[in-house]
Amino acid sequence: MPGTSIVEDIELIIEDIGGGGGGITPPAGGDDGGDSGRRPGPNVPPSRRYATAIVIAMISIFMFFMAMVGAFIFLRATNRNWLPLRLPSILWFNTAVLISSSVIIEMARRRLTLADVPKFRKLWSGATVLGVLFLIGQLIAWRQLVDERLYVSTTQASSFFYIFTSLHGLHLLGGVCALLFVAFRKFQNASVSRSVAAEVVSYYWHFLDGLWIFLFALLYFGK
Amino acid sequence: MRCTLFPEIPGVSPQPTSSSRRNPQRFTLPVSWRIVALDMVSYGSGGEPLDSPSPGFLAKTLFNSDHKVIGLRYLWLALGSVLFGMLLSLLMRIHLVWPAAQIPLLSDFGNTTDRYAALTLLHGSLMVFFVLTTAPQAGFGSYFLPLQIGARDMAFPALNVISFWTTAISLLGVTASFFVSPASGFTFWIGSVALFCLAALLTSLNFAVTTIDLRAKGMSLPRMPLTVWAWFINAILSLLIFSILLAACAFLLSDRLLASQYFSPLAFLAREPASSAQSTLLSLWQRLFWYFAQAEVYVAILPCFGIVSHLLSNFSRKPVWAERAAVLALCGAGVFGFCIWGQHVFSSGLNPWSPLAFSLLASSLGLPAGVLVLSWFGTLWNARIELNTSMLFALGFVSLFLSGGVTGLFLAGASFSPASIGDDFVTGHFHLVMGIAATFAILAALFFWFPKMFARQLDETLGKLHFWLTFAGVYCIFMPMHWLGLMAHSRGTTGAAAAFGPFASSLHTFVTVATILTVAAQFLFLYNFVWTLSRGKKIHDANPWRSATLEWCLSSPPPFENFGPAAPVVYRGAYEFGPYSAANVSVTPQNVAPKPPEHATRRNLAAGAFAEEK
Repeated sequence: MPGTSIVEDIELIIEDIGGGGGGITPPAGGDDGGDSGRRPGPNVPPSRRYATAIVIAMISIFMFFMAMVGAFIFLRATNRNWLPLRLPSILWFNTAVLISSSVIIEMARRRLTLADVPKFRKLWSGATVLGVLFLIGQLIAWRQLVDERLYVSTTQASSFFYIFTSLHGLHLLGGVCALLFVAFRKFQNASVSRSVAAEVVSYYWHFLDGLWIFLFALLYFGK
Repeated sequence: MRCTLFPEIPGVSPQPTSSSRRNPQRFTLPVSWRIVALDMVSYGSGGEPLDSPSPGFLAKTLFNSDHKVIGLRYLWLALGSVLFGMLLSLLMRIHLVWPAAQIPLLSDFGNTTDRYAALTLLHGSLMVFFVLTTAPQAGFGSYFLPLQIGARDMAFPALNVISFWTTAISLLGVTASFFVSPASGFTFWIGSVALFCLAALLTSLNFAVTTIDLRAKGMSLPRMPLTVWAWFINAILSLLIFSILLAACAFLLSDRLLASQYFSPLAFLAREPASSAQSTLLSLWQRLFWYFAQAEVYVAILPCFGIVSHLLSNFSRKPVWAERAAVLALCGAGVFGFCIWGQHVFSSGLNPWSPLAFSLLASSLGLPAGVLVLSWFGTLWNARIELNTSMLFALGFVSLFLSGGVTGLFLAGASFSPASIGDDFVTGHFHLVMGIAATFAILAALFFWFPKMFARQLDETLGKLHFWLTFAGVYCIFMPMHWLGLMAHSRGTTGAAAAFGPFASSLHTFVTVATILTVAAQFLFLYNFVWTLSRGKKIHDANPWRSATLEWCLSSPPPFENFGPAAPVVYRGAYEFGPYSAANVSVTPQNVAPKPPEHATRRNLAAGAFAEEK
């Protein structure tokens, strides 16, 4: 029967269009006025926007820190009177804490894929505590520098140390808030599932982890 | 051909289903949608968002997260800034030619060079940040990007609200910084610019995610209108460069507030001569700043490229000529714009080879621009052009962009640049190509989308008069400025005009008189705008320009949540004009499905032909 085949043709055309990429089409948002019921839903799951947003935001944050790193390298290279800064040794401990928090987040996410929510929550809270511990460690590092009478305004190296640590800490503080949000929010009627939220936040957390290792290496080798 | 899927208002007849039970009047939007206050669309009975009983007063006004309301607010903010900035430029010209003139109110601020510099700074930051960056991208973009891709709203409506109010606060800060003492005023200014960067970053993030993830079914990348392409590429570019400016602002702020050492010559101690330390720090700042500022030109102009391509195609009743190439050129402009920051550092000592590299890059920017110009002329070629005000402004953009672009090629040459940094030639060049051209594109967009935003149409006669006066005016202002620049006249100092003989000073007077007349002509536009808003001609046709993109399928102004749950499906590109008849050229809207009978007959014909051959 020719009529049905034409309808199929059109369906095929619609399928071929393949707009936004993602192949999975969830059922359309529930109630669509009941008119013939053939109206296709949106192309991508609504939760994908959070993953896209965090990737784009990471690119932007990366650019922000790279501008600062560029200025650091430029001044380090041109200033022949650069006064090196002895980094407080607690930074090594802080770095270890941050890396272990990243590992624990991955373990927690594995628990979540097994639908083991209580265990997930325990591990996830552990990672959050480690994040807070890192921030406290950074404050102790500042305290140690201040005790050595090294302030923001003392040398160029100390200025850079303070701006890198404070801006990274600020971003990390946002990360800690996001971790708490995922741990304690009830996801019954939210637009995203807990696993998607955990995934998005974990991207951001690993990014900040890597960023800190990079900045630490820069400050250590460029002192 | 009119839209067939959404004849008047989508879902206008609420059937007794679950959706209508929840919110009985969701889409029965009264035509009485009207602008009541300066920036507030008053919602009719159908305006309540889904799932919330009735939003409070604050949610409806201050924190209204509808992208259309926010887009309009951006436009109002830009309109206020452009008027203020224009008055400032008038002041500067008058001061330059008649330094002794006493202007009431302003004599209190003192007549020093500092104040003049502060005036220039205020003019520049208002125009660049709050007009050129805000209006075409955040203003028209917020309003029309979700509509054109068939989305209900931006990806993150709350973020949209936050970035708008951050922008508004930063506008207040930039303006207020003029009125306090220069030292603290500058700190204030930097803080406000940092806030603006933050707002621009959030807006761009929202734009990028919306374009990537919220497109309607069938809206593949090649089917996106060129406006959407331009907004998208511009959002990516903004994300990269505004974070650099934000970093630079953070350095400066921390130097000024915490006495840190980034730009301090003290850090270089005694072994270096002070002058060398100064120049190093200066060049660091220039690098950070121009990284942003050179690309900022493209941030201002990219959405205008998109808008002009769109309008030229629509009013030529022809598809965009070489559309793929035009899209690639837009991408190319974004990439090159990001890479040519070194061009402005010619005079500040990069290593000797880099001027060559950057000069090549700056010249190669002519390539995407050339492709775009070719595409515009190809679209116009042999077309049946509808010469209304919107089209006139779009053509004016092409003219201004060409004249400004030609002078830009001179500036891209490494040998010419050091001599001309900061003189009238540069001033004329960037005003023509960036400021005025972009303003023309903004006006073209305003005349084009006004019926969609307000269901009224701006007066054509007044509009055309305004166009011709402005068009003649800006050429009279900026062409003599190029001339003055070529006469190696350096900018800024008040007495310098007299030093270069009577000819230069009469040129200066000419420019100032032309400025006064051009600014006066803008009141024609203001009158037209205000009069039309209050009692202008009403448009009942949802698609008065017979355009193909999705926003024209909705009523004017579009209802809350645009398409609602019934997301449109896109079957074709944005510029399908034809068939051509003697009377007019029809257009097929993007959401019109290919007709089954046509399909069938073609297949039957093919089958018949096949049978005959046998």
